[in-house]
Amino acid sequence: MNARRLLRCVNARRLLRCVNAPGLLRCVNAPGLLGYGIGGGLIITGLAGLLVDARHSDPLGWALWFGGLVVAHDGVLVPLVLLVGVAVGRLRTPSWVRAGLIVAAVLSFVALPMVTGLGRRADNPSLLPLDYGRNLLVVLGLVALVTAVAAIATRLRRRRG
Amino acid sequence: MVRDSVMRERAETLLRSVPGRFGSVLHSERVAARLGMWLGISFTVAFATGLFSHFMQHPPGRLSWPSRPVGLYRVTQGLHVIGGLATIPLLFAKLWTVYPKLWQWPPFRSLSHAVERGLVLVLVGASLFQLITGLLNISYVYLWPFSFPVAHYWTAYLLYGALIIHVVNEWAKIRRHLWTREQVDPRETVTARRRFLGTVAAASGLTVLFTVGETYAPLSRLALLAPRDPHVGPQGLPVNKSAAAAGVTTVIHDPGYRLTVTGAVRTPLSLTYDDLLRLPQHTVRLPIACVEGWSAEAEWSGIRLRDLAALAGIAPDAILTVESLERGGGYRSSEVRPPHWNDPLTLLALRIGGAPLAPDHGFPVRLIAPNRPGVLQTKWVTKVVAA
Ligand code: HEM
Repeated sequence: MNARRLLRCVNARRLLRCVNAPGLLRCVNAPGLLGYGIGGGLIITGLAGLLVDARHSDPLGWALWFGGLVVAHDGVLVPLVLLVGVAVGRLRTPSWVRAGLIVAAVLSFVALPMVTGLGRRADNPSLLPLDYGRNLLVVLGLVALVTAVAAIATRLRRRRG
Repeated sequence: MVRDSVMRERAETLLRSVPGRFGSVLHSERVAARLGMWLGISFTVAFATGLFSHFMQHPPGRLSWPSRPVGLYRVTQGLHVIGGLATIPLLFAKLWTVYPKLWQWPPFRSLSHAVERGLVLVLVGASLFQLITGLLNISYVYLWPFSFPVAHYWTAYLLYGALIIHVVNEWAKIRRHLWTREQVDPRETVTARRRFLGTVAAASGLTVLFTVGETYAPLSRLALLAPRDPHVGPQGLPVNKSAAAAGVTTVIHDPGYRLTVTGAVRTPLSLTYDDLLRLPQHTVRLPIACVEGWSAEAEWSGIRLRDLAALAGIAPDAILTVESLERGGGYRSSEVRPPHWNDPLTLLALRIGGAPLAPDHGFPVRLIAPNRPGVLQTKWVTKVVAA
C-alpha cells in the first residue's frame, strides 16, 4: 500500500467515525467552529430582531405560522405525497408518470394562491390581471401531453429493443 | 410485568424500523447532498439580494447607493423573487428525501444530538416560512398578523444562520458525495437518482419560465402564472397602490395644488402645475421595479430633480425628502440621496408616454429615478425638503 492510499484509508476511517458520532461538535475543526460562531450569531440576531420589532413582527403570530407550516408539511403534505408515490409505484411505467406528477404538483402549488384570487382588489385591476385557473389548466395540459408522449415513446422503444 | 416489557420491546423495534420502511433509493445521502448544494446556492442568492433590497430602503448612516447601473435593482429583486419561486421545488424535494430521518429512533441520542435536531427544525421551519409566506405575499394574500417585510427580514437571519451550522455538521457527507465520483451504486440507482434530480430541476425551470415574464418583458407572454403582466395597468403600466387606496382621489385635482421646495434652500419655491409644465422638460426611459419582483419600463417626461434643486439653491451634498399628498402609509415620503438626485435621469415626472400621469401613477407629479425600489418612487408629490 503506498503512502497516498494509506492516507486516504486513514481519512476515510476518520470520516466514518465523524459521520457515525451523533450530534454537534463531531470532529469540528477551526473553520467549523467559525461556522458555528457565525451561524449562532445570525440566529441570535434574527430572534432578537423578531422580539425587538415585536410591534411589527407579532412574535406569537409568527410562531404560529412557523410551527404551523412545519406541522402541515411533515404531517399532511409529505404523507399525502408518500401515498401517491406508493400508488404510482404500482404502475407499469411509473417513472414518467412520477416525473409528470412532480412537475404538475409544483406548478399547481405555485399557482394556487393566484388561482384562489384572494388577493384581488376592486381598486386595482393591474394586480392579478390574468385568468389563473385557465392558465393553470393550460400548463397542466402541456405537462400531461409531454408526459404521455414520453411514456409511450419509452414503452415502444422497450418493446422494439 | 414480563408482558409489559415484551410489548415495550416490540414497540421499540417497530419504531426503530420506521426509517427503514421508506423503500425508495432516493431517500439517500447522495440525493440530499446534491439538492442541498442547489439550495445552498439559491438561499445565498436570496439572502444577498434580500439584504441588498433592505439596505437600499434603509441605508445605514450616510451611506449612499449609486444610481447606476439603471436596472440593477430590477435585476437583483427579480433574481430574489423568481429565484425564490424556483427554490420551492428544491426545498420540497430535499425535505422528502430526508423525511425518514424525521422518524429516527431514539429521537435524541445525546444532548448535542438534540441541539442539532433543534437547529434542523429552525432551518426547516425558516425555509418553509420564507418560501411560502413569500409566495403568498407576491400573490397579495396576506393571511398573517405580522408585517411581511419585518418578519421576512428577521427570519432570513434565522434561516441563513441555521444553514451555516447545518453545512458544518454535514460537511463530511457533503465532501464524500459531491467531491468523489466513486461508482459503487447499482446502475438502476444511478438512473433513478439522475431522473429524480432532472425532474426537480425541470419543475424549477418551468416555474421560472411561467413567471419570469413579469419582470423580463420579452417573455411576458409566457408569464401565465405570474401575479403581474408588465403591460397591464393604466397607461399600460402596473400599479401597486391606487389613488383610491391612498385616499388622494380628490386632493390631487385641487386647483390650489402647489409643489413646494423648502428646508436647507437659498430660495424656497412654491410652484403650480402650470409652472412645472413651463420648466425645461426632459424625457427618459426607466423601469419601475417593484419590491415584489415585477418590473416594467416606460417613457417618463418631466423636470429633472437636480434642475429644481439648482433653482432653489440646494447644496449638491444635501439629502432630499420627497413627500406625497398621501396622509399616512409607510411609503408617503422617501429620501433621495445625492447620487440619485444629482443623476440627470432622476425626474419629477409629469407624463408617461407623452400623456399626463394617470391618478394611479401619481398625478400630478411623481418621482422616478434609476436603480431604486418602486416603493421609493414616491407618487402624488407635493413637497421636496432639503437637509
Ligand atoms: C419564494 C421565495 C421568496 C419570495 C417570493 C420573496 C419575496 C420577497 C419580497 C416581496 C421582498 C420585499 C419585501 C418588501 O420590501 O416589502 C423580499 C425581501 C427580502 N427577502 Fe425575500 N423572498 C423569498 C425568499 C427569501 C429567502 C429564502 C430569503 C433568505 C435567505 C429572503 C430574504 C429576504 C430579505 C433579507 C429581504 C429584505 C427585507 C426587507 O426589506 O427588510 N427571501 N423578499
